[in-house]
Amino acid sequence: MDVQRKDGVVVISIDERLDALAAPKLKETVKKMSEESSTKLVIDLAKTKFIDSSGCGALVASLRTLLKNQGDLKIARPSPQAQTLFQLTRLHRVFEIYDNLDAAIQSFV
Amino acid sequence: MTGILEMENQLYVKIEARAEMILLRPLDLFVRNLVQQLPGLSSSEDLIDNVELAFNEAFTNVSKHAYKSNQKGPVCIEIFVQNNYLEIRLEDHGESFDPNAIADPDFQNLGEGGLGIWFMRHFMDDWIYQSDQHGKNVLRLIKKIPCEETTLAVDQP
Repeated sequence: MDVQRKDGVVVISIDERLDALAAPKLKETVKKMSEESSTKLVIDLAKTKFIDSSGCGALVASLRTLLKNQGDLKIARPSPQAQTLFQLTRLHRVFEIYDNLDAAIQSFV
Repeated sequence: MTGILEMENQLYVKIEARAEMILLRPLDLFVRNLVQQLPGLSSSEDLIDNVELAFNEAFTNVSKHAYKSNQKGPVCIEIFVQNNYLEIRLEDHGESFDPNAIADPDFQNLGEGGLGIWFMRHFMDDWIYQSDQHGKNVLRLIKKIPCEETTLAVDQP
């Protein structure tokens, strides 16, 4: 997991798998960020080939944490597997999802 | 791994381990790589993803929910393929649950948890969970392999 800042937006790039092993770290990182300030966050899934229920849950938890603290979360570049899960679970209606990282970042500006 | 038995048009794999989360990814990838070689599934990335996800959820449930404490108990994983039939079986001796008491997720207000069993049910053709009075829990994940050429590429002795 890699965290960078661009144009006042935090970009978290998730590794190949967002599963039950990776999900707690994402939630913890987002929680710490949102406690410090209201965070505009893009989760970049370009490298992420596999997401499971824990990964979906971590994204939902992260969004809720951010919204509570006047932040927001957008998702960029989900894989076909992630898109399938988002559609099935209707998370594509909960998250703003972008095919392009710059477009996701610029959506906050 | 305790054995791979290959017979004509049939494949059986048995893996016995402690249900440690550190095994999740290696086992996921083993299942994925195996399924990728099955005629009928090999050309469908979606089906391969679905079987991998179902196995992932099943193993995670055993490790995190059947064995809640840090001291993980045993899990026996069996994979059986014959003709157009794939079955992945996970046996544990941890805490059981009532599958009928598991409600579908509320998709209008999705929470952080509760999707794992729904994914398994959705992506597999059959999902069967049974517990017996001796504390044995068995989950069977069944997928019908689409009809194509189904002869397994098994080396003959």
